Amino acid sequence: MELEDIFFSTSEYVQTHTGNKVSRQSTLCGSQNIILNGKNIIMGESMIRGDLANVRMGQYCILSKQSVIRPPFKKFAKGVAFFPLHVGDHVFIGENSVVNAAVVGSYVYIGKNCVIGRRCILKDCCMIADNTVLPPETVVSPFTVYSGSPGHCIEELPEAMQDLMIDYTKSFYQHYIPDKDASGVNQLSIASRK
Amino acid sequence: MDSLTLSTAKIANGAIVCCECELQGDITIGSRTVIHPRAKIIALLGPIIIGENNIIEEQVQIINNCEDAMVIGNNNVFEVDCRVESKKIGDNNIVESKAFVGRQTSLSNGCVIGAKCEVLVHETLQEGSLFYGSGPDVKRRVQSDKPSAQGAQIEFLSKVLPNYHRIRKPLV
Repeated sequence: MELEDIFFSTSEYVQTHTGNKVSRQSTLCGSQNIILNGKNIIMGESMIRGDLANVRMGQYCILSKQSVIRPPFKKFAKGVAFFPLHVGDHVFIGENSVVNAAVVGSYVYIGKNCVIGRRCILKDCCMIADNTVLPPETVVSPFTVYSGSPGHCIEELPEAMQDLMIDYTKSFYQHYIPDKDASGVNQLSIASRK
Repeated sequence: MDSLTLSTAKIANGAIVCCECELQGDITIGSRTVIHPRAKIIALLGPIIIGENNIIEEQVQIINNCEDAMVIGNNNVFEVDCRVESKKIGDNNIVESKAFVGRQTSLSNGCVIGAKCEVLVHETLQEGSLFYGSGPDVKRRVQSDKPSAQGAQIEFLSKVLPNYHRIRKPLV
């Protein structure tokens, strides 16, 4: 099943030479500490707090509207610091989610309105359902689906999860195209994800 | 519009208030309080008075919809994307991500409102109350430990945030 085209207005997004599509309304704090490896989509009003610590995202990651990625906070023996946050490849983060995790693996699907607690570890190929709250320091095993508040494993995923996420994120990226402002007709078909 | 908000927010010395946060109306911010960018403190009808040593993270909405003053004490933590309309908040409370504290609720000291909990009860919460769960299923209990102080985090943020953001100048 092909995804529908989602249009964005060219004035609203910046496309980098590595293929990242970053919305101008998103807030990337401390952009020198943020590494986006290419072909990522950062949609409007999302935030990446690179000022607290380094944030590194892999390829084909999608950060939906109003989501927040923020490095977690850790108390060490000699003081405190914010932990660098690593996000793997092919990760989809749904709208309005707050990701405070220490590590997000690759091929992960995070639903809408989730709260990923401090210092959580999301291993590869896991899925966090919509509206989940993961308490701090949860470790989410690969190929599991977590849901609820506090999050519990509710089912297991097939081994095809990796291919599914690769497919999904790549085709999402390819279908996220700038609308052609010239004719003005295409304004009507802007499918905004609410 | 912005110059109006800048001139009416009274920011004590030592408070770290990023320029990117939205402050509207009559607001007083105590010293050593850290307000992250994209926080919204909106004093629509009445003033908001925020104490010292608080941490207000991004996307937090603190809204005062009534004419009485909204008083927030010291050492509180408001985590990402929570909404607070409560008129009185004491000290050492934690309001976790995406929680909502309604106008009729008052937090005393040491309360914890868990992530995504909506607290609309018409009462002043007992010291140390804890709300957890989500949706219609929010449960409560009382804890005897106080939530830990965030002094170390505030110190760290006071050093790091000015390097990346413009900080509003203190205005007493």
